[in-house]
Amino acid sequence: MLSTIVIGLSVAMLLFLLASGLTLIFGMLGVINFAHGALYMVGAFASWQVVAWTGSFWLALAAAPLLVAVIGLAMELLLKPLYARDHVFQLLLTFGGILVLEEAVRLVWGLDYKSVTAPPFLAGSVAIAGSEIATYRLFVIALGLAVAAALFLMIERTVLGMVLRAADSNAAMVRCLGIRVDRLRSFTFALGAALAALGGAVAAPLLPVQIGMGFSIIIDCFMVVIIGGLGNIRGAVAAAVLLGMVQAFGQRYVPDWIAVATYGVLILVLLLRPQGLFNLGRERSA
Amino acid sequence: MSGLARQLAAILAGGAALLALALGVTDEPLLYFASLVLIWAIFAIGFDLVFGLTGLLSFGHAAFFGVGAYVQALLTLDMGWAFAPAFGAALLAGAGLAALFGMFAIRMSGVYLALTTLALAQLVNILVEVKLRGLTGGSDGLIGVPRPEAFGLDFYDSGIYLAFLAILFTIALAAAAILRRSPFGQVLQAIRQNEVRADQLGFDVRGSKIAVFAVSGLFAAAAGALMGGLTSFVGPDMTGWKVSGDVLIMTILGGRGTLLGPVLGVLAFELLRDVASAWTDHWYGILGIVFIAFTLFLPEGLMGGMRTLRRAWRTAGRGRPATGGDAP
Repeated sequence: MLSTIVIGLSVAMLLFLLASGLTLIFGMLGVINFAHGALYMVGAFASWQVVAWTGSFWLALAAAPLLVAVIGLAMELLLKPLYARDHVFQLLLTFGGILVLEEAVRLVWGLDYKSVTAPPFLAGSVAIAGSEIATYRLFVIALGLAVAAALFLMIERTVLGMVLRAADSNAAMVRCLGIRVDRLRSFTFALGAALAALGGAVAAPLLPVQIGMGFSIIIDCFMVVIIGGLGNIRGAVAAAVLLGMVQAFGQRYVPDWIAVATYGVLILVLLLRPQGLFNLGRERSA
Repeated sequence: MSGLARQLAAILAGGAALLALALGVTDEPLLYFASLVLIWAIFAIGFDLVFGLTGLLSFGHAAFFGVGAYVQALLTLDMGWAFAPAFGAALLAGAGLAALFGMFAIRMSGVYLALTTLALAQLVNILVEVKLRGLTGGSDGLIGVPRPEAFGLDFYDSGIYLAFLAILFTIALAAAAILRRSPFGQVLQAIRQNEVRADQLGFDVRGSKIAVFAVSGLFAAAAGALMGGLTSFVGPDMTGWKVSGDVLIMTILGGRGTLLGPVLGVLAFELLRDVASAWTDHWYGILGIVFIAFTLFLPEGLMGGMRTLRRAWRTAGRGRPATGGDAP
């Protein structure tokens, strides 16, 4: 029971790391980044590479987000001319990004899957209330909570966060106040990409690192982001915990129906409350 | 001659040329290439009715394509049906499923519709690959899907099958041309341009959306069923998101919202696949770059690019004598 809850929470935090980047980018830029899963995959492969070269998991945890942030900057550069156009074109561009990134990974790292081992002191397990809990899962939960707190503080308590929120509700006005909104957008996209890569680096010791790992998780992330309300960080935390728990308990009791249930719930939410379960009174169109 | 009559005459002439090609050429790789292009073209023409004409982005068209393929394969292989009735059933199944997807399009649009159709198609994919494994063969797929047997012709001859495809392609293209110019097609364009206004004018926006999805699904299912016949194989990948993505890429490359754009896009896509995959295994990455470049610089696709060129040509030509050339 307890171990299932811990697994659920660790899945939730992994989903949150990805979904927070996705929702941040949407909130600020109005762009649904289809390639977010691909960025996550690149992050996982990059972290494997750093571990293979240096043997340091911690270095990988720092380097992978940096590399992918640069890729994010490049993507945002391409997106710039499309802000004025239909949202569909932004979706198309990021879809093209998936094709390029997947092929780039195949070119650099080949087809076979890689695995990353967690650093020794996170590799074991601890006994809590009679259940054996994998230490690494506890680390994932702690890291997820730390990132959630940091993001929350940044957005709600710092000047940067205030400007971000202001630019979200009225970009033209913020620009008139002398703030370079286009730089803010580049920064947000890079930050979102870095969060995806951090998710990838954290997931690397948990899951096989392989082509296509991005797609299976991106649907779950869309779900978190949509249930939480697009652009809503707090909603994303709640939705991630909800989905993580459903997946962990589902995996234990009805493993055959997880995927069906996931897609089914996503479709239902899109149909009944497309503005998300946690967005009260704040509607936006996409 | 009216515009439509001229268009239909041109389509018939094109179909006749294709037929001549099918029966005159004996080069197997070329016949296979042409068959592939025609099947995907039928798919893309249907996809563009929803995407280009009505302006709804579906990311789930693989479901209709795949269901058409599977219904055709199952009815002929397991039930022993002949090709034609199984083909009819496949079209109906595709149209029915698409109408179901269309009901979601009533409630949402844009990015939300793209995500919902993607999720719906993934459900179909799981159903085919995992849940109905006993029926569909799971990830192994079904092998030995038969081609038609009629008029004493050997449809296993690549040229004959291509000729058969050419006839169906011509019918599909003509049907799309008529649909675009019909009152129904006009309503669909009105929905794309201004849905609220179309609704206020009294047009049945909801019914039209469901109907266009159904018609589009019919085209997709036909393409799926024909693909099964071409390769004599159907597999769960046919319902996967890559197929939805491919048809979207093809349509964008050629030019959305035009009759010939999707066909041109399929040709460009398959040529690129043929040429690029000959010198690199990573042709899909090149495709991605081309696709991004089109989204940025040629959102109207090859058709739009040709229009711009023609206009530029005319403008440039105006400064010169009508006969052309540099002579004063």
